[in-house]
Amino acid sequence: METADTPLTYFSQMIDHCYDYAESAKAQGRPIVGILCEFTPREIIFAAGAVPVCLCGGSLETIPAAEQHLPVNLCPLIKSTYGYHLQGTNPFLEWADFVVAETTCDGKKKMYELMSAGREMYILELPQKADEPDALAHWIKEVEKFKAYVEKKFHTQITDDQLRAAIRLMNRERGLRRELADLMARDLPPLTGRQLLDFKSIISGIDADLEQYEKAIRTFNAGAAVKTAAPGSPLDLSQSPPPVRVLLTGVPTVHGAERVVELIESCGAVVVAQENCTGIKPILEDIDPDAPDPLQAIAEKYYHLPCSVMTINERRLESLRTLAARFRPQCVIELVWQACLTYDVESKRIRRFVEDELQLPYLKIVTDYSPSDSGRLMVRIEALIETVLAKAAGPARQASR
Amino acid sequence: MIGCGIDAGSRAMKVVLMDAANRRVISAAAADQRPDQSELAIELTGQALKNGGVQPQDIKKTVGTGYGRRVLTQADTTITEITCQARGVRSLLPNAQVIVDIGGQDSKVIVLDVQGVRDFAMNDRCAAGTGQFLEMVAQRLGFSLAELGVHAARSLQPAVINSTCAVFAETEIISLLASGMTPEDISAGVLRSVALRVAGLSHPGSTAAVVFTGGAARIQGMDKFLSQALGQPVVIAPDPHLTAARGAALFACEQIEPGHRGRDE
Repeated sequence: METADTPLTYFSQMIDHCYDYAESAKAQGRPIVGILCEFTPREIIFAAGAVPVCLCGGSLETIPAAEQHLPVNLCPLIKSTYGYHLQGTNPFLEWADFVVAETTCDGKKKMYELMSAGREMYILELPQKADEPDALAHWIKEVEKFKAYVEKKFHTQITDDQLRAAIRLMNRERGLRRELADLMARDLPPLTGRQLLDFKSIISGIDADLEQYEKAIRTFNAGAAVKTAAPGSPLDLSQSPPPVRVLLTGVPTVHGAERVVELIESCGAVVVAQENCTGIKPILEDIDPDAPDPLQAIAEKYYHLPCSVMTINERRLESLRTLAARFRPQCVIELVWQACLTYDVESKRIRRFVEDELQLPYLKIVTDYSPSDSGRLMVRIEALIETVLAKAAGPARQASR
Repeated sequence: MIGCGIDAGSRAMKVVLMDAANRRVISAAAADQRPDQSELAIELTGQALKNGGVQPQDIKKTVGTGYGRRVLTQADTTITEITCQARGVRSLLPNAQVIVDIGGQDSKVIVLDVQGVRDFAMNDRCAAGTGQFLEMVAQRLGFSLAELGVHAARSLQPAVINSTCAVFAETEIISLLASGMTPEDISAGVLRSVALRVAGLSHPGSTAAVVFTGGAARIQGMDKFLSQALGQPVVIAPDPHLTAARGAALFACEQIEPGHRGRDE
């Protein structure tokens, strides 16, 4: 365990590392670009020599300030992000040369309008008919315009070679994160889902991070039959019966907002797959670095992201089908941030798909960043786990109940 | 040998003692919750032992359930109130398909299948469909919780309460009182609004056998409002406030005598 938990220890300081990295990048004259969504092509930012930093807010603390401008009944991620903007308390946002945002959900889109007072924002218009060729053509145009904006802003010309190098860097990162996520497919996962989540950095492409990924993969692959989760984890992976395997789907659990993952794993379950933007969802596809038109290849990859703002979002079902086959969950928990309309409404389809096609128990959790409902959420999660265990114990035994 | 089930609910604590040999309830005790939940559980268990004429050492296993299950020092294991409720109701009413439970701070709809719990839905961060809300209204009208049902029964035209939030509903009730609406009509309106909130959690399907549990099931006429809201008959479980504790006691008995089947039904 000693060697195994070194990368975990390293990533427990993720924000500090990112702070140091961004600070020194800034000192060396590298621009910082804030991003707020996985649809934003990081490759273009890298190709311009800039550093993309995720600014999604995961803090309860900044929400009261945000509620002075925004409706109370709005997604906590939007409110928290905006609260940081108002308070000026996110150093990465304060360092950002500009912030790139996108038209995903209405809440974010309209919040960006308020945020653009006093900040330089660039808005990518995301078409939302997922399988419409015209829509993709429009998105490619948007990505081209974004590239031109970045070039003008940073007085540079982005070459195809630079794009290809950036694609290779992001492919490497995506590949390593996929390998880490794949560790959870084991019968006895060597990590908890919460620990896996810690490996997600708010800045992509940091060499030291990628080296730690490689180190972690080497250690876990070296076998050393890891029987228990790393210290500090509430979950004993060697418990009997083994932890119930959970596929988590829905909204992202950004840094600071990992509470529901923690609650699930404190109930004797392990989150084996995270079908969301902080999990495996944005890293399932790579980009061909040798594609004839790298910019188009970049645009296409990002356009495939199965976000609930897309209609009809069939790719999410395909993705869930693939992940269920690979990670063998025993139940599916969908997390919806309060007032996230697109995920909340889409959950109806997801529930039907999970129950009818995957034939797994499904639980939807709607909550925000406040811990006040933790006890009540635990009842639901524990009851779900009891149901899974009772069914696993066999119908004969249950029939008598 | 005795199995003990303790349901540490948000408003009341319930204890059921059960004979592991024949799965019969020996005795039960219930009281309003207190901050020192574990102490209260010990007192109530003592009361139940006395009522049943049995000795403390006869209790071989204790299962805790309910909101406070994790703080019960005497519980050997804990099981959620959803699983316990299903177990308790099934043992009394084997044909039950759906349980509607209205407790102090939660309301739940539990859908059963042959294996036990198939699905469940609970109210979110909101008290408008809960017993706590009913208590608040009763207090505002100057009644006890039990009287709320008595007054509601006299209503000819129940008030329409629209608010989906307990706090706003209270404001609405104050305005209704100010406008001269009778406490009878307000009581009936409130019971109906709670029934509608709970029915909105999950529709059980028009032919399902619905069983009503939880403290609110003891309010006179609440079942009629629930039945109206669901559009189908509703059966009140025997001792509807004790069914989760009964389920916990059954699980405790199973831990004492694993594999003992069917006899409790």
